[in-house]
Amino acid sequence: MATPSTVSTEDKRSFYLFLLPGAIGFIAIVLVPQLANFGLSFTAWKGVGTPRFVGLQNYERLLSDGQFWGSMSHTLLFVISMTIIPVLIGLVLAALLFDYIRAEFGETASSLFRAALYLPQILPITAAGVLWGWILSPTGVVNIVLRAIGLGDLAQNWLGDATYALPAVSLVIVWIQIGYCLVVFMAGLSRIDPALYEAAELDGAGWWQRLRTITIPLLAPEIFVVVLTTLIAALKVFAPIFVLTAGGPDNATLVPSYLTYYHFFTTQRVGYAASIAVVQTILTIGLAIIFLRFQAQQAGKE
Amino acid sequence: MKLSTLAMAIGAVVLATGLAQAQDKTFNIWWFEDAASAQGVTWTKALEELKANHPDVTVNFEQKTFAQLQASGSMILNSDQAPDVLEYNKGNATAGLVASQGLLTPLDDAYTSLGWDKILDEGSLTLSRYDELGVYGSGSIWGISTYGEYVSAFYNIDMFEEAGLAVPTSLDELTAVFEAFKAQGITPLALGGADTSGQHVLASLAYTKADDTWISNYQGLKAPLDTAPYLFAAQTMVDWVAKGYVDKDATGIKDPDAALQFTSGKAPVYISGTWNLGNFNSTIKDFKWGQFLVPTPKYSVGSTGNLWVIPTASKNPELAKEWISLLLSPKYQTEQANNGGVSIAADPATVTNPVGQNAAAVFKEIADKQGLGFYPDWPVPGFYDVLIQKVAGLLQATLTPEQFADELKQAYDDAQANQ
Repeated sequence: MATPSTVSTEDKRSFYLFLLPGAIGFIAIVLVPQLANFGLSFTAWKGVGTPRFVGLQNYERLLSDGQFWGSMSHTLLFVISMTIIPVLIGLVLAALLFDYIRAEFGETASSLFRAALYLPQILPITAAGVLWGWILSPTGVVNIVLRAIGLGDLAQNWLGDATYALPAVSLVIVWIQIGYCLVVFMAGLSRIDPALYEAAELDGAGWWQRLRTITIPLLAPEIFVVVLTTLIAALKVFAPIFVLTAGGPDNATLVPSYLTYYHFFTTQRVGYAASIAVVQTILTIGLAIIFLRFQAQQAGKE
Repeated sequence: MKLSTLAMAIGAVVLATGLAQAQDKTFNIWWFEDAASAQGVTWTKALEELKANHPDVTVNFEQKTFAQLQASGSMILNSDQAPDVLEYNKGNATAGLVASQGLLTPLDDAYTSLGWDKILDEGSLTLSRYDELGVYGSGSIWGISTYGEYVSAFYNIDMFEEAGLAVPTSLDELTAVFEAFKAQGITPLALGGADTSGQHVLASLAYTKADDTWISNYQGLKAPLDTAPYLFAAQTMVDWVAKGYVDKDATGIKDPDAALQFTSGKAPVYISGTWNLGNFNSTIKDFKWGQFLVPTPKYSVGSTGNLWVIPTASKNPELAKEWISLLLSPKYQTEQANNGGVSIAADPATVTNPVGQNAAAVFKEIADKQGLGFYPDWPVPGFYDVLIQKVAGLLQATLTPEQFADELKQAYDDAQANQ
């Protein structure tokens, strides 16, 4: 008995070697920069030269910075447009494509829709952003169409008016996010036994009932994964804001990541930017932990 | 297995490093002027001459962007990736910062020994000199600008003639011109309210109320902000929107779109910088156009151009200086003017392009009366974005002129107190 167990311990040890490249990568790309950032958040630094230790000064400033709190409150809205709405729409669309479109119009039609809805995920976000910038400009397609069909009163300065900029950017983000939710949900659906649907249908369950009683409960693992990943993405959203509005007009669409970028690269308050990033990281990790706990609890119940 | 992979990886790294170090006969040069701009065209030609003069040197040119170096230039210069010579953003927050950190080669000796002092005068060195705190105006020469730039009103001469309007020489006349176009149903002023031209219009208007003390205090961060000129400028811009001289949707428009309104002949006036000259020179074919300065008592928004700097890490500083000499030579100064650029040392007699001739003359006129008021975002790092955001707030009426001035004052005074 003793001999095989020694071999297996040696084996286990040699397995660790294979983890080495990953560990080095993690330390070099994630851990060290995070620690360096944490250290920088206690300094005043202009990006070159020697950082000067200032203690908690950056964090004190953060507490009274209206821009920071504004950006935080916008993040809540982006949770709605990046997580809640795309997950809901994605669920309904996935179910529609899976058990209605595919049943009625065949596999090809369903794949076609899926591909089309996934397209925004493939498009480089900068290209998509520039396109949406044109579409939503005061002289853009949206307003031209609205005026052409006699709804000129509804035409707005979509990205240039504080009232509409946040909803307009959110709309673009929903458009980008749906594809991701949809594809994961459809993959999940293919795991579910079709017999369940057939049985439910025979028992007289309508489409909506089937969605609520079969699709959603059985898709729970996928829904958890999608909600977690999109939630994290929402907390650190940057690219769509950068391309569409640069946080404007008058900071109406400012988010923490953009504020970090702004202070890091333009005001050269690198230490302050680092402190924003630290708060953002703690929030993101904290939310992820709470969420994973919740998921584990749910899984335990079943 | 594991070890051999590791050895290969190390080998590859060593090999790559060795190769990089083997290239010592190379000359790395960066600039960010657009390839189609007057500077871009001229410098490309000059670089050909430099290559021809030094056939043994491999010249590597990299096109950068203004925003790229604005954001990360200091970090590049602080690394071993710095080129041998580069065009770098002028100003305290950029050139001043890296100069104060010892990342640039001082050019005082070259200035006299290479005869640059016979081409440039002290006035065009204001933004070349930075003191040990990185504040412009005094200290060593750290960079050389070979062109000028200023903000002016581009106007459609055909539309002005058709409407029987003359070039305005006062703010009242400018307003009258706008009113006349508005009466014809034309929105006269193209404005990129989501972009830079907003703050250029703002500053041009503010400078109508600015005297020497204000400019010197403002640009030098010498005192808390006196908001009176900005309050006037903000009120005027709000009036312009209310009267329909500026589209109320301007906050959704960026500069390239606003410029398009001018080049397509829709808007008769566009207030922006001379960096548009190359583009307008080549794209406007259907109408005659010109420039006039926004009427101010003395100061206009403008400065000498961005700087040619030689990083401390430059491996070919002598060649870099030769490059700067080449650009300052009458040949390339004239070339630049003929491409529609603002030359600071061109011989007017040899300039054939009326755009470049006019631009050089206007720049000289401003420089001679020492009226270069610089840019409004200059004194405070990050003010550029603050101004874009706040001007947008002003234009879309979420900020009153008073609130607008207060918010600028907050950001300015914060920087002023913490410098």
